[in-house]
Formats: sequence, C-alpha cells, structure tokens
Amino acid sequence: MFQRLRENKSVQGTLLALPTMIWLSVLLILPLLLTLVISFGRRSPDGNVIFTFTLDNYIRLLGYHTNCAGGQARCFDPIYATILWRSLVLAFNTTVLVILLGYPLAYFIARAHPKKRNLYLFMVLIPLWTNFVIRVYAWMMLLRKEGGINIALGWFANLLGIPFQPLEMLYTPGAVLVGMVYEFLPFMILPIFTSLEKIDNSLYEAAADLGANAIRTFLRVTLPLSMPGVVAGTILVFIPVMGTFIVSDILGGRQVILVGNLIQRQYLDARDPTFGAAAALILMVMTLIVTYFYTRRFGFGEEIVAV
Amino acid sequence: MCKSKLYRLLALLVATSLMLAACGGGETAQATEPATGGEGPKVTSSGFVCPEPNPRMEVTSTELNLFVWTEYFPQDMLDCFELVYDIKLNRDEYSSNEEMYAKLSGGGAAYDLAQPTDYIIGLMIRQDLLQELDHSKLPNMKNFDEGWMNKPFDPGNRYTVPYLAGTDAIVVNTDAVENVPQSWADLWKPEYAGRMIALDDSRVLIGAALLILGYDVNTRDPGELEEAKAKLAELIPNIKVFDSDSPKTALIAGDVDLGITWTFEALAAQQENPAIQFIYPTEGAVLWQDNWVLLKDAAHADAAYAWLNYINQGEVFWLTLIDYTYINPNKAALEYAKENQPDIYKAYFDSPITNPPPEAIANGHGIEDVGEATPLYDAIWVEVKGQ
Repeated sequence: MFQRLRENKSVQGTLLALPTMIWLSVLLILPLLLTLVISFGRRSPDGNVIFTFTLDNYIRLLGYHTNCAGGQARCFDPIYATILWRSLVLAFNTTVLVILLGYPLAYFIARAHPKKRNLYLFMVLIPLWTNFVIRVYAWMMLLRKEGGINIALGWFANLLGIPFQPLEMLYTPGAVLVGMVYEFLPFMILPIFTSLEKIDNSLYEAAADLGANAIRTFLRVTLPLSMPGVVAGTILVFIPVMGTFIVSDILGGRQVILVGNLIQRQYLDARDPTFGAAAALILMVMTLIVTYFYTRRFGFGEEIVAV
Repeated sequence: MCKSKLYRLLALLVATSLMLAACGGGETAQATEPATGGEGPKVTSSGFVCPEPNPRMEVTSTELNLFVWTEYFPQDMLDCFELVYDIKLNRDEYSSNEEMYAKLSGGGAAYDLAQPTDYIIGLMIRQDLLQELDHSKLPNMKNFDEGWMNKPFDPGNRYTVPYLAGTDAIVVNTDAVENVPQSWADLWKPEYAGRMIALDDSRVLIGAALLILGYDVNTRDPGELEEAKAKLAELIPNIKVFDSDSPKTALIAGDVDLGITWTFEALAAQQENPAIQFIYPTEGAVLWQDNWVLLKDAAHADAAYAWLNYINQGEVFWLTLIDYTYINPNKAALEYAKENQPDIYKAYFDSPITNPPPEAIANGHGIEDVGEATPLYDAIWVEVKGQ
C-alpha cells in the first residue's frame, strides 16, 4: 500500500490537500449552506428559526415592510437599501483614501535604502501588534470633545490668540471613515510595496535615457507595474470594510448603521437569525458583484498572487 | 527573494486575521484562588472578615460556574464565598441580556447560575433554559423587600431570586443645559439636537415613546407600536450616541449634555461632576431588576443554593452598597449597613438616585416580556436606528 502511495502522485496530492479541504467544507461551505437555508426560514416570536420556504426576508430587505402605518398589508421604505448603499459608499471612500495615503508611503519605502526599508516596514506593522478593538478605542480618546486632537488644536489656537471652539469629531460618519482608513492602511501599503519593490531599476534608467521626465516615468512605468499591488490591496481593503461593524459601533456611537452592524444586531439584539442570514447573503452577493467587475477590469493583481 | 517576501506578507495577513477573529470572543474572568482555610474566621486579601454562612448548607460540589454581568460584584463577596465553602468560583461575563441569551440558547455552556434582567426571563422560561427553584433551600429569600418580589415577570418567584435593581431615567448636565427636561416628551425638543446619549436598548427607547403617546410600555398592539415608531424616529436627530456599556464616559467627557441612562451610571457621573442630575420623568421612569436564575443543566445546584443564601445574608449583601450603587432590594443588608456602616448607609439613603422617592417607584413602569409582539419591537428598533 505504501508502495502504491509512493508511486501515485495524484493520491499524494489529494492526501496533502485533505486537511484543508475538510477545513473548508466544515467551516466554510457547510455554514454557508446553513445560512442559505436559514435565510428562507421564518423566526418564531421567541427568535427560534422555523425552517420553511419563504422569501419574506428578502422582500423585507428590498424595503417592503409588514408593519405599516394605516393598516396596509405592505408598504415601501428602502431602509435596508439605504444601509447597503451607505456601506458601499464608505467602503469605496475608505479604499480610495487608503490608496491615496498608502501609495506614496509604499513608494517611499520601496525606494529607500535597503537597510532602512526593513525598519520602515516594521513601523508599518507595529500597530498590528495591538488588538484591533483597542486601537479603535484609542481613536476615541483622540477624537472626543476633550480629547487629544482638540486639546492640541486648542493649545495652538491659544498660542496664536485665536478663539477656539472644540470640534465635534467623535460619533460622526467622518470618525468612522478615519477609523477605517487607519485600520486598513497597512493592508494597502504592503502589496503596493511588494510590487513597487520588484520594479527593475534599469527600467527607470531606460525611461530616462529615452527622455521621459519624472511624471511621464511614473505614469508609463511605475504606475502600470505597481497596479497589481494596488488591485490586491483594494481587494484586501474593500471586502473587509464592507462587513466591519466594530469601527462604526465604537466611533460612530452606534447610530452610523452599516450592513455589518445590521447583520450583527439581527443575530443578537433582534433575535432574528433568518433576516440576519438573508442580509449576510445579500452583502456577500453584492461584494462578489463589485469584486467581479473590478477584477474583470483590473485582474486579481495576478503578479502578487502568482509570484 | 520575491517568494520569501510573499510568504512573510502572507504570514502577516494570517496573524492579523487571527487578531481580528479574536475580537469577537467573550472575556473570562476568574476569581482568585481561595487561600487555604484554617480554623477561625476567614479573612479576604483586602482584610474583610467573612461572615459565617447562616445557614451553612450541605455542599458536595467543589466549584460553581456563574454567568454574570460585567462589573457587578464586590470582590470580598466572591472571595468570602470561596473561603467559607471552599468552592472555586468560575465567572464568565456578558454585557447585554441578548448576548447572554444567545450564548445560553446556543447550548453547550456549562453554567449554573445566570443573572438576567426582568424582561428576558419569560423568554428563558419558554425556551426551557431554567429550572424551578426549591424554596425550602432558600431560607434567606426572607431578606428581600416585598416590593421587589413576586413581580409580573415571575409570579411567586418560582424561577428568580432578586439581585439589584434600578431605574432608567433622564440624566442632565445642568451646567450645559439651560432648560432641564422634566418629562420624556421634553427630550424631543429640537434644542437638544445632537446633544444626547441614549441607552442602546430597544425596550427603554420605544417605551419612552409609548409613554409620551399615553400607551402601555408593554403594549402588543401593532397600531400603537407603529405610532411609537414614528414618534421615536423624531428623537433620533437628538441622539449623538447610543451606549449601554458606559454612558457616563461621554457625559463626563462633555461629548453629550443629557440623555437617557440608568441609576449606577448617573450616580457615577454625578460623583465626577456634581452638576449632573438624574430626573424622574413625569410620565414615569422605567424600572428594572436583575435576578438570579438557576439554569436547567446546572451541574452544581447545591453550590448554587449555598451561594444564593450566603450572598443574601445582610452582613454579606451590604457590600454591594459600597461600589455597586443600585437600588438595593435586600432589606436585611440595608438594616445591617444602617447599624454598622452608617456613612455608607447615609450615602445610599440620601441620594435620590439610589433611593428614589416612593412616588418615582409607584409611577414607574416595569418592562415585561411581550411574547408574539417581540418581532415588531425588534423591527422598529432596527428600522428607526438605520434611517
């Protein structure tokens, strides 16, 4: 038997992949199927799942409600579409900002002296050593009315003799955006750095020899060659931001409701796992659609994936 | 070269995702190891001399698993129980009833006692999560004030033993707010736009809207609830932050000027800033009560009864008056404190927050389980907040 195993490469491969395949099917595919089944169910008043086939949860997500003013059977209020749209816009803004902030830094690190490069990368990674939630709470300390930023601004204003009114920053959509950008910035810097770092110096020399100025070199050489990093970073940032609920809970004061918050609340506060499951699937489908069109246009950042 | 970079990047991503995944977990807090008991009175590490159990119960279990609210116990109370009974207390904590319920109804949790608030107890009974109490093993139930027993959520206390209670009412920083609100309806005024904190609690907020409209806080009528939804939607622009965990923080930090909060948080905020006041609204405050329940699958029921009797002794329960300043339903504890800890008793008795005027209690509204109307409340809450 072992003899056969030694000879048969395909059995070897299957055996090696087996643990991962079991892992994926038990912890990914089964729960996903269960979520799908539950999303067609109905909740009992006590929040138990009644397994049946109804599209009520999806109809509710579309904005048709069963508890309406004036005794109508159904009424229209696109509240959940609004929440989804809000999440989509936030994820888009976060991604764009993270690219705008992350690209120059990645470029700087990639062009730095190799000895310093590791130090810079290390500095990008250090915040990740602290727990995600704790870092969000730290932003709370900075953004609040009597927090670090307002104190610093007040001090400067005092120095310059300008009257100062503390800024209202915490518990606003802006605070959520700041928190998201901060949390996900390293995930953009690292892939862009990896693709920038691989660009052969001789390409820049060739560009210069051929008379390209700095801007032209950047647009024709650097940018196209680093696009795989940008694409990979975008996927790494956009998808998690769509589903996050911690940042909006803490920095948004629980009144900036994103689809992640909506789903989490269905499972806990509202005790409606069927509606939560439907919302989770819609989020997944939406993210898939956006990612699909994005990758069709820009690829998967193959170079990164395929190194 | 490139490959090793990629592996490093991947390892980093895996490490990060593990960190992210770790965020969702609950915290486990464990009480300290009991000191080896000898003869004579037991003394905790803080120097508190533990009262003898009265009565001393027959206990064969060597541990007790509690599933309780965060920050809700005097350390001496926990230590003393471990010392006098030589039982190891294990404590898991939660910060909302919904979180507790989700964990218990998920099954597989090996707890003996939990500490739900009134309104969710009916649901736990219907879901067969609780076992009936044997009152012959609970002689110290007599220590409780009748006013906090035999409540609508559990007539005859078949399942519950009271712990602490409180009110949800209006909190105001009188330095920052010119017109101090006197009623729930006042909170709707546009002058408070973006200045309020509110509990992240559907029943309290929808309850306030129902009270303004003159309806019962426990109504099951869809029409009334629909009106309350519209009413509550008008309040949302005034609310800057929803927070049930530590509402005092935003108040003390000056991020908000007024809001809806509960006893303990209001008192803690007031101790930091005397200008902060607690107002019982004219329509009536919301009353709540936390209770012990014995879980269906409790493996250490004997230790659970011993715990319930021991902590409810007046000379033990008074410890809650020091740091856990809620409404104290244990009259033996209040009597004990009055005679032996006059300063602590006076602070409790003189504060209208911990010792509300009788009319505030009489005028108050208890939150009850609403049965088949629960989905309506849940939907209203999600939809109003998501607007």
